[in-house]
Amino acid sequence: MASADKLINTDVPEKDVFALHFLQSLSNLKTQNPLNSPAKSIDRVRKIKKAAYVSMARAAGGTSRLWSRALLRRAAKDDNKSVRFSRRKRKVTWKISSKRRKSNNQRAPVVEEAAERLRNLVPGGGGMETSKLMEETAHYIKCLSMQVKVMQCLVDGLSQK
Amino acid sequence: MSSRRSSRSRQSGSSRISDDQISDLVSKLQHLIPELRRRRSDKVSASKVLQETCNYIRNLHREVDDLSDRLSELLASTDDNSAEAAIIRSLLNY
Repeated sequence: MASADKLINTDVPEKDVFALHFLQSLSNLKTQNPLNSPAKSIDRVRKIKKAAYVSMARAAGGTSRLWSRALLRRAAKDDNKSVRFSRRKRKVTWKISSKRRKSNNQRAPVVEEAAERLRNLVPGGGGMETSKLMEETAHYIKCLSMQVKVMQCLVDGLSQK
Repeated sequence: MSSRRSSRSRQSGSSRISDDQISDLVSKLQHLIPELRRRRSDKVSASKVLQETCNYIRNLHREVDDLSDRLSELLASTDDNSAEAAIIRSLLNY
C-alpha cells in the first residue's frame, strides 16, 4: 500500500487551549479547597500536577488520542470515577496482548528494545504497536512541551509582583 | 480463516505499515527533540532517536514536577486578587 494513503497527523491545538483547560482545572481546585488552607503542601503539589496532566489530556483532544485516553482513565480510576467515551469505535483494538504485538512487529530488535522503554513512558503505550507508539509519542511530546510552556508562563507571571 | 469478527486480521493489515512511514515517523520525532534537531543533516539511527525521545520525555516530566512545585508555592503565598491579576497579566504577555 502506498504510504501516502495514511496521513499521520500529529498536530496539536494552540497554546491558549492548553492554558484555558489548565486554568479551569486550577480554579476548580481552588473552589474545592482554598489554596491558602493549611493543607499539606505535598497534597497541593500532587493535585496541581494531576490537574496539569488531566487538563493537558483534555486540551489535546480528550478521548480521541490513545495516550490522552489512557491518561484520563488512569486519573479517573484514582478518583473512582469512570470516563465517558464519546465515540467507541469497535475496530480500534487498543489493548493488544504482548504476544500478538510481538508477532506483528518486524522491526529490528534493537529498535524494539528502545521502543519498550518508550512504552513505559507514554501513557497507554503498553498496548500499542511500534509505529502507533511512535505516532502517539510525537503527539504526546508536543502536548507536554505546550503544557510546560503554559506552566512556565504562569510561574513567571506569578513571580513578578 | 476465522468467521468471527477478526480484529486480528484488521490489525495485521494496519500494522503492515511501510518502512517509509516508519522513517517518516522517526524523522518527525527527530525534529521534535532539541538534542537531535541540530544533527538533521546526519541520519540518526532509529534506536538513537527512540533513546533520546525517552530522555526528552523524562526531562519534560521532571519539568512538570518542578513547575507544579513552584506553582503550588506561588499560589499558596499570594492572595487571591493579586494571583488573578498576575495570571491574567502572564496570559496577555505571551
